[in-house]
Amino acid sequence: MRLSQRAVHRLVSLALYAFFAVFFLWPIARIMSRGFETHDGHLTFEYVWLIFQDPRLVRGMFNAIVIAAIVTLLCLLIALPLAVLSVRYEFPGRGFLGGMMLAPLVLPPFVGAIGVRLLLGRLGPLTVLLGMGGGAGFDWLGRFRAAGIILVEALHLYPILLLNLQASLANVDPTLEHAAANLGASRWTVFRRVTLPLIRPGIFAGCTLTVIWSFTELGTPLMFGFNTITPVQIFEQITDVAENPLPFALVVVTLVVAVTLYLTGKVFLGRSYDSATTKASVASAPRKLAGWHAAAACLPFVVVLALALLPHVSVILTSLSAPGQWYRSLIPREFTLAHYHAALTDDLAIPSVTNSAIYASLATAVALVVGLGVGMIAVRSRLPDRGFIDALAMLPLAVPGIVLAFGYLAISVGLKQQFQQRLPLWLNVQEMPVVFLVVAYATRRLPYIVRSIAAGLQQTPVDLELAASNLGAGRMAVLRRITLPLIFANLIAGALLAFAFALLEVSDSIILAQKEAYYPITRAILELSQRLGNGIYIASALGVWAMLLLTITLLAANRLLGRKMGAVFRV
Amino acid sequence: MNCRMGKYAYILLIAAMLIGPVVAHAVHGSGEASAPGGTEDRLIIITPDGQEIRNEYRWAFAQWHLVKYGTPVDLEFLTPGGTADIRRQLDTIYRAIRDAHGGNLPPENQVDIGIDMVWGGGDYEFNSKLKPLGILQPIQIDPNLLRQVFPQPTLAGVKLYDQDKDKSGNPLPPRWIGACLSSFGIIYNPDLCRSLGISPPKTWSDLTDPRFFASLSLADPTHSSSAGAAYMMVIQRGMADAEGEFFRTHTGKPAQLKAMPQYQTALDAGWKLGMSRLLLIAANARYFSDSSTQPPSDVAGGDAAAGMAIDFYGRVTEETVGPDRETFIAPRAATAITPDPIAILYGCHGKQLELANHFIEFLLSEPGQRLWILKPGEPGGPRDLALRRAPIRRSVYRDRSGWADDFDYFDTAGGFNQRGEWMGTFSELPSIWAAAWIDDRDELLDATRRILAVADPNHRAQLLAELSNLPVTRGDVTREIAEANRITADHSEDPDVWHATQRLNWAKRFAAHFAKVAAETAGG
Repeated sequence: MRLSQRAVHRLVSLALYAFFAVFFLWPIARIMSRGFETHDGHLTFEYVWLIFQDPRLVRGMFNAIVIAAIVTLLCLLIALPLAVLSVRYEFPGRGFLGGMMLAPLVLPPFVGAIGVRLLLGRLGPLTVLLGMGGGAGFDWLGRFRAAGIILVEALHLYPILLLNLQASLANVDPTLEHAAANLGASRWTVFRRVTLPLIRPGIFAGCTLTVIWSFTELGTPLMFGFNTITPVQIFEQITDVAENPLPFALVVVTLVVAVTLYLTGKVFLGRSYDSATTKASVASAPRKLAGWHAAAACLPFVVVLALALLPHVSVILTSLSAPGQWYRSLIPREFTLAHYHAALTDDLAIPSVTNSAIYASLATAVALVVGLGVGMIAVRSRLPDRGFIDALAMLPLAVPGIVLAFGYLAISVGLKQQFQQRLPLWLNVQEMPVVFLVVAYATRRLPYIVRSIAAGLQQTPVDLELAASNLGAGRMAVLRRITLPLIFANLIAGALLAFAFALLEVSDSIILAQKEAYYPITRAILELSQRLGNGIYIASALGVWAMLLLTITLLAANRLLGRKMGAVFRV
Repeated sequence: MNCRMGKYAYILLIAAMLIGPVVAHAVHGSGEASAPGGTEDRLIIITPDGQEIRNEYRWAFAQWHLVKYGTPVDLEFLTPGGTADIRRQLDTIYRAIRDAHGGNLPPENQVDIGIDMVWGGGDYEFNSKLKPLGILQPIQIDPNLLRQVFPQPTLAGVKLYDQDKDKSGNPLPPRWIGACLSSFGIIYNPDLCRSLGISPPKTWSDLTDPRFFASLSLADPTHSSSAGAAYMMVIQRGMADAEGEFFRTHTGKPAQLKAMPQYQTALDAGWKLGMSRLLLIAANARYFSDSSTQPPSDVAGGDAAAGMAIDFYGRVTEETVGPDRETFIAPRAATAITPDPIAILYGCHGKQLELANHFIEFLLSEPGQRLWILKPGEPGGPRDLALRRAPIRRSVYRDRSGWADDFDYFDTAGGFNQRGEWMGTFSELPSIWAAAWIDDRDELLDATRRILAVADPNHRAQLLAELSNLPVTRGDVTREIAEANRITADHSEDPDVWHATQRLNWAKRFAAHFAKVAAETAGG
């Protein structure tokens, strides 16, 4: 009996619900239950209340929120002028500089932190540049430890806001601005009272992503040794997961704050696949600049680029510096390639590359299958809950990686307590974290793939699929021979992005991978950075490799998606 | 076609970037211990030791076992964090097993936690934390081998292996054995010290110098047991000074003097003196790191002028950057020399038990002991970096050729060492220290800055003395330990919640103390 299309869609949606229930809702439910339940199963708010009574934890939460707010504000201050310049004006070098603005995305910030720590060292290059390198120097990070974190995160995250703002600005109907100008409004008044309100959804969308990301970032504060911040305080308690309810209570509070931030942005955004955004009815032609006007337009790009590339340059220089030779000098006094050779022969470095490649590939495959299902339901089906399924798939953006990772850890430890030796090895995250890492990566990167696939399906006329069906092709044949080839570029682009970011996933890797044999790259980099002797240099060499890989991946995705690339990073 | 080729060439490039390093790694070769012949025999060890130690011993043990027993054995390491993290993890695992079996551990051959041994973390941790949990197996070692390795079972009063006896006084099989010796000391950057106009520190008290304000790199004692042990040395030095003074001013045999109540009062005062010194050192900290490898890195990089570190961390860093950037010294007659143990976990049985015993045999052998201290490239030495740890087997000190460092703890130890009977407060001290130094960091720094701004040096010294006189006594801590033990035994409260509450209470008490002293600076 051939099932109706609606029935097929319903079956797919049930499978998706099962996926989300097991791999998304269960870890969160586990955390919530441990955070609100006594040992004998009674409801209690004591643990959460204790969190708010502990000044250290309150300070950690305060620091996390304040740092996230400052990072987001900085990103906005950087991205808004750049977006206006790149969309509304044309000048020599605009394309190249615009592309280079995405450079920060190619370096995981916690790797950049390695270089920035050296740059801002008491006797480091900045101190030397300011002429203070001869004496006792200046302890930038000792006095302004949080400033290092804010700098690294802001310089990494502003491209996300930039992409959102550029898309929003491109969609603004220029006739509204022209009308305001014709009524006598100055350029600044037009921007303030017409343009800004129209691009507000883009601002909030980008800010939401930025603030949640920064609020829950683990790797960067770890690298700076900044322990009074919630993600690090959660990480410090992962060995206490089995019995101590306090880590769960802390994770619950973190989750509530993150979801609140996400919903706040979503309320202001209110976008769906069905409704069009405020698309311009007339194309807005950029104004051509020449002479010193063009030079002045390039200047902010060059300045931001120079600052944004500081972490990259410092990581490269660290990877090439002879041990201990970057001291009281602007650049290392002695260079060497020995750390790259050491990375190739190190028992931790390259095996972690293999591990990460395997985990990321498997995760991408899982995410592709699930993402295709979500895309088909959200774009092609008429199910009443298609919006809900779409929202579920986007929820990993709101739920911090550290929360999900903690949830998987808690599930595994709980299963181990219940089943003891009977527990299969692959369910024991402390023995073999592969399955949990793959699931964590897949869940966390699912939004990228859903975005990419949904964009492809929206652009693909459904008529072609209907025509094939009318000619007798079965549903799988239509999918295989019509739909998938037409959205192939989107599939590849989404897969590339998901693969690359899964490869360099930080929170999940640090929390779930406890056995050296299973370390992914990011865990290996953290371990190496704490190794005495040449560890930090090998970590930098591995970081440079990661940077190159991400660069090529982003270029490939950009080539395949073209202007649609920005849609991947939007809420 | 060309456009499509161009697009997908990126994918080929990505594949090349992933496969290339793996191929290069295989071509260049690695230190994979399982490489010779391949093996399914695997020993799983949980340890806080750094990767350099794990790598060298993994490779060396595989080679040694292949030669001696005909098959290589791979070592697999679990590294959940510092010693406290390891203890928590093991406690959790075994508690779950006990809960599932009516409160008792089943016979060993019915237990399989997936971990065979625990290695590293200090003798106090093994003796006073892990052993009482009942999770360390008796090690069936040949008593002759034990005598051969340890002709003297103690070093300046510190036991080099577990030496429990039965009711008849016969020695029981040890539940832990020292694998090497560790000491703690001061690391400092001579170049930065010169710039700051400070003489190189030689004693713990030198680190209390206000000129070191915001220039010391220290580790969090709740995460790093080596840091905690170093801090305990400062307290024990204070207690030893008080004891020495007491013996000088009272007549009688030591045993009689120790029975006097005034003796305990003197020790209390010595304990307070040590706590005061630590508070002033903590006030000079830049920050407290979770990792005990951070202080040597900070000092060598010039971010900190000095810090406290375990011996081999200091020496390895000194070798990497040179003595003008980082020098390690062990404060004279003020630092402990203690064993770094290994033990077999309850539940390790059958083939795994056999392999575990082989690993202990290797660790105690001359090749296993020399690996700690030989230079890279020496026969039997490490492949990459000298580990620079002190062997515990006395006989290897007869021939020190090829050693990275020429020292002998057996000669230099004497007079002062860690006193087991004075470690009674150590179990709760890390969280009390953390409450004062880390939780109340802002209040402590504010008070210190205000005091250092006082013009009158006498008033300044008096305020510093008052600041460092924390409102906590040895008796307070002893009572807290008793309460903690009671709660653990009778489950009247959740122990984790109780500890968290206690730390909160200490932090509030200390914060009030710091604020009170800060207010007294108002007169100038």
